[in-house]
Amino acid sequence: MHRLKINGEQVEVDVRGAESLAAVLRERVGLIGTKIACERGECGACTVLVEGRATMSCIQPAALVTGDVETIEGLAEEILDLRAEFADRGAFQCGFCTPGQLVRATALLRDAAPRAGLDPEEVRHQMSGNICRCTGYQAIVAAVVDVAERRAGVDR
Amino acid sequence: MSYVGTSQRPHDWAARTDGSTLFAADLRLPALHAAVLRSPHPYADIVALDTSRAERMPGVVAVITAADFAPDAVYVHRGAPLSDRPPLARGTVRHVGQEVAAVAAETYVQAVAALAAIRVRYRPRKAPLTLAEATAPGARRLHERTTDEPNVSVLFATEWGDAATGRAHARTAVEGRFAYPSVSHACMETNTTLARWNQADGTVELWTSTQAPWFIGKEVSQLLGLEHDQVIFREVATGGGFGSKSKASEHEVLAAALARKANRPVLLSLTREEEMGANKPRHRFETWLRTSVDDDGLVRLYESDIRVDNGSYNHMGPSVMRVGAITLGSMYRPDGAVIEARLIDTATQPGGQFRGYGTPQVSLAAESQLDELADRLGLDPLEMRLRNVNREYATTLCGYDVTTARLADCLDAVRTELDWDRRRADPRPDRGVGVAAGSHGSGAYAYDLANRSDAAIDVFDDGRVRVRYGGSDAGTGQSTILAQIAADELGVDLADVEVLSMDSEQTPFELGAWSSRGTHMTGSSVGKAASEVAERLRDLARAKLGTQDVVLRDGQAVGADDAVALGDLVRLSDDAVDGVLSHETIYLLEGTEPLAPGKSTANLSPTYAYAAHGAYVEVDRRTGAVQLLDYVAAHDVGRAINPTAVEGQIAGGAVMGIGAALGEELVREGGRIINTSYLHYAMPRSADVPSVRPVIVNAHDPAGPYGAKSVGEMSIIPPGAALANAVQDAVGVRIRELPLTPDKVISALAEKEGRRRRHRIWRRPGRWWIALMRALYPLGLHHVLHHWGTRFGRGVGTGVADPESVTSLSAPDDLGTVLHEVAAGAQVIGGGSDAMVERRREAAPATVLISTRSVLALRGVRRAEDGALRIGAAVTLAELAEATRETVPVLAEAVDSIASAQIRNVATVAGNLVQEKRCWFFRNGFSCYKRNGVTSPCYAVLGDHRFQHAVIDGHRCQAVTPSDLATVLTALDARVELAAEDGRRTLTIEEFFVGPGETALRPGEVVVEIVVPAAAVRRRSAFRKLNLYTGDFATASAVISGDVDESGTWTEARLVLGAVAPVPWRAVEAEEWLCGRIAPTAAQLRKVLDRELDREAHPLPGNGWKLDAVAGLAEHVLEAVTGVRPGEGR
Ligand code: FES
Ligand code: FES
Repeated sequence: MHRLKINGEQVEVDVRGAESLAAVLRERVGLIGTKIACERGECGACTVLVEGRATMSCIQPAALVTGDVETIEGLAEEILDLRAEFADRGAFQCGFCTPGQLVRATALLRDAAPRAGLDPEEVRHQMSGNICRCTGYQAIVAAVVDVAERRAGVDR
Repeated sequence: MSYVGTSQRPHDWAARTDGSTLFAADLRLPALHAAVLRSPHPYADIVALDTSRAERMPGVVAVITAADFAPDAVYVHRGAPLSDRPPLARGTVRHVGQEVAAVAAETYVQAVAALAAIRVRYRPRKAPLTLAEATAPGARRLHERTTDEPNVSVLFATEWGDAATGRAHARTAVEGRFAYPSVSHACMETNTTLARWNQADGTVELWTSTQAPWFIGKEVSQLLGLEHDQVIFREVATGGGFGSKSKASEHEVLAAALARKANRPVLLSLTREEEMGANKPRHRFETWLRTSVDDDGLVRLYESDIRVDNGSYNHMGPSVMRVGAITLGSMYRPDGAVIEARLIDTATQPGGQFRGYGTPQVSLAAESQLDELADRLGLDPLEMRLRNVNREYATTLCGYDVTTARLADCLDAVRTELDWDRRRADPRPDRGVGVAAGSHGSGAYAYDLANRSDAAIDVFDDGRVRVRYGGSDAGTGQSTILAQIAADELGVDLADVEVLSMDSEQTPFELGAWSSRGTHMTGSSVGKAASEVAERLRDLARAKLGTQDVVLRDGQAVGADDAVALGDLVRLSDDAVDGVLSHETIYLLEGTEPLAPGKSTANLSPTYAYAAHGAYVEVDRRTGAVQLLDYVAAHDVGRAINPTAVEGQIAGGAVMGIGAALGEELVREGGRIINTSYLHYAMPRSADVPSVRPVIVNAHDPAGPYGAKSVGEMSIIPPGAALANAVQDAVGVRIRELPLTPDKVISALAEKEGRRRRHRIWRRPGRWWIALMRALYPLGLHHVLHHWGTRFGRGVGTGVADPESVTSLSAPDDLGTVLHEVAAGAQVIGGGSDAMVERRREAAPATVLISTRSVLALRGVRRAEDGALRIGAAVTLAELAEATRETVPVLAEAVDSIASAQIRNVATVAGNLVQEKRCWFFRNGFSCYKRNGVTSPCYAVLGDHRFQHAVIDGHRCQAVTPSDLATVLTALDARVELAAEDGRRTLTIEEFFVGPGETALRPGEVVVEIVVPAAAVRRRSAFRKLNLYTGDFATASAVISGDVDESGTWTEARLVLGAVAPVPWRAVEAEEWLCGRIAPTAAQLRKVLDRELDREAHPLPGNGWKLDAVAGLAEHVLEAVTGVRPGEGR
């Protein structure tokens, strides 16, 4: 039995061999908000936070995860402002990449918290591991930049 | 409150952003898992097919083959006689990836294992793989077709308007052949179907990712011998479509047939490899066009010869070709257009439906030639187009009755927003602007009933409203705008409107979202249904309130001095059932005509949308890279019902078009797609595109619902030509084949400037052996190795992740345990980001894995007393970047360019150095020399080797070491410390790498530390790389590192080139030249380096351009360390 702390809760899972964290989350724990689009670590749809760091859960062996895991389900409350901004700006269309985008952005926003906002170029670079085929990205970038600014209390 | 015309959040935004929206693979039905056996051959007869062994495999519940369908079962698609594709191959396979059999088993891994137990004997036939091969005299025919020409499935030849008049007025003409490649939709959600068979009533329920349930139902029912309504759809989210999910793919019927045979629910979810390697992509077009204009720049005549790669079966090819050709008869006002178009069968996977539907392909030719002609006439390209725009309310050559047409306004918007005049006049070298225009209908009358849409409205007695429609919103925002429309008609709060889509038992007839018809058709039907209900409610209110003067607002019917809630009116209605007043209606579109055989003109659509896009680019002459700096997309959309949703469609479609213009293409070898992963498919990532700036030219169209026209497809049409025109403006080369990758740009520039390289292989006996092998490949060696040699060897893994293939996976915290395990045969993994993926392609991957991530001793970055930088092997790339950003910035810079932030968070330094070689054949499952063994060919010799393969020192394998870190560390004279149970040793990094992704590590040995000597830490260094998208491996890279004394003299120099040779390659001669030099310029270095490269390189026929690119990068890095800004020293 492997112990995992997921969204603050201790879970015991009988992890099989090299089973990925994404598979464990989706199939064993029922957290289907984490999506699988490539299963090769190339698209970001499966992004979760492991010890606060954005990680591709589809290629992360669950057996090697010891720290806290946070998924979109656990983060939704914390990032209500970001989710609303995504909705207002059209930062998602089909929504399949969206949990991954939001989780990735959460880590960026937390890192940026002590600073005054985020620069769009930096957001674009840092979020290039999250493919979105629908939106053309700019609404995503704008939403993240806006929320960072608002959280930093910068006057707009 | 009026919602139409205002931006509104997606109606289900909360669920889409908290992870609770259910896509087909998220449903928790206890289902079997399906896998599909696919043809490995482009064209072959199936001599024998035996599934008996597979049926007995553990976990297997059902296996289906063609025998499980009626003997004449084929997809209807465009209808007889064009219908030609069986659901599973019957006797013959006609493309790599064609479905031969399918298995349902308890787990996916079991299903895949069973595939391997199905015995198929193929007799391969000679397969025409390209348009040229298919139409060559004596080409083998794939089908019996109705035309006389070999492999021409459909010939469309017509003349619109009056060509003779056009010819008489023509003064200037240009002609040329343009190619638009096959590209993948690459939807983030792969095609997925969950099917449940209901034995009792013989129905099948489908939860499937689709844009158009009705069409899927039509195909699935007739293939299974059911009535249409026995295929029942349930609502489920669809993760992107872009056309691909608007008609049946192959998974829906296979899932349904398996569910019926197994009598259990079956989930069939394509893998990314299948999605990109076997699904139906965009049709490749090769368009020959001659455009003739008069002295005023008015287009008078188009003459065309359009060749469309149909792939192996018809699907939508006939109409894609037709719509493509219509571009020439609809866009401007020529006197005539001579159309000749051929739909040509090739033994490659068939094309499908893709946003734009043939128009982007033909537009590339037409809009490029307008610029060529503008140049000849000395006209501004914007002005050229303004002279040619369609008049409003005119009929075009192809029979379109145009209503509003605001292309001129769009062109003006590009001029203003892009700052066109100033930027065009800007003398800054290598920058340029380009424009292209386009038009698209709002739904084509391409099928029976395509002019009809039904919709239903429910009003509940608590005042809530529900819209029901049978289409599906794959991300376009359709459901939201329907809710807006209903809310306005009924005067209720938008939050009180819910939408039910897809469910075929609960929604009325609707053909779905394709051909940009969603807004027009369902916007009209929902609007009609809602206004009819509104009238009934007003009637009820009139009776109740005793006044004629009633309006619906704020959830009430409001009279002169009294009001009644809608819910109360529902209770008053005799028609309400169980507290719900329901109303269903039919919207029939008038004035359009169906596409009919034998008739070449038709008014297909109620309204036509227009757009003009402007691009501002910078071209790096040294590397061939095209960087998009600014992009304006101005659209005539009629009235935008939800402006944010419209802008989203514009930006999303434009970026998709920009992707196809700059990098995307499906690349094949022997008919098989090589780049079946996002890793190898150069579609734009966030940092690759600027903000596309949408401009909505708002102009109410009387023929559209609430004044709206279409937008979904329009936005993908102009980018190809806009970018090609901008590149031409920037550096003066006209590229007629997309994508505009650096190889094409740099080769065109070299040709223009008359540059050539001479490698004089005859003078280099060391290369004779390889030169001979390469010469023999096309003469039969490749064929022999491919057909016979690959039968021997190690084998290739399935590519599927099998958790059980690992028996032990641990992460000890002390090095001793790691060394002990490794001595016993364990494989070391760092973060696992490469190893866990690559092992899937190994025939016998290691079963015991051990991670170094917890070994504290390997996790630090520190400065030793002597000033050396010591980097622990298990340090992550992210940690390395953080630790070196101030001290050795060149390392941080290189790391920043590797993969993604998520990968950098887990990938280790040692893992990066020892990662597998860079080669899309090797990585994507080809039985190549390195993967399978010495009797196998290197597929890169004859295959596509433009980007990834060696130009120097290539041997039997042409791959390169992919690690950027390796390139940088070579320039920094790094040492690699190795440890084994029986001791340690140190190698220089040059000794460490012995081949492409191959190292001098001995069995039992582990990398423990990388040491950068103090002298190198202090040097000035710079790194640059050329790649196809942000995070991609280097196509070429260069690192310079040197010491410059007070007098400005170089006393030490390293120049290392990456991704051009099997291992990082030191340009020794250039290094020597640099030493002792004062203020060397880029041009001087280039000269020396070119000489060295000419002498040392031995490129393949298609990758010699990389020498130019890497020399260009060397110029960049020299300027970066000497502080010269690019271009200054030229
Ligand atoms: S699904 Fe994990 S990165 Fe694509
Ligand atoms: S919203 Fe569809 S992929 Fe991003």
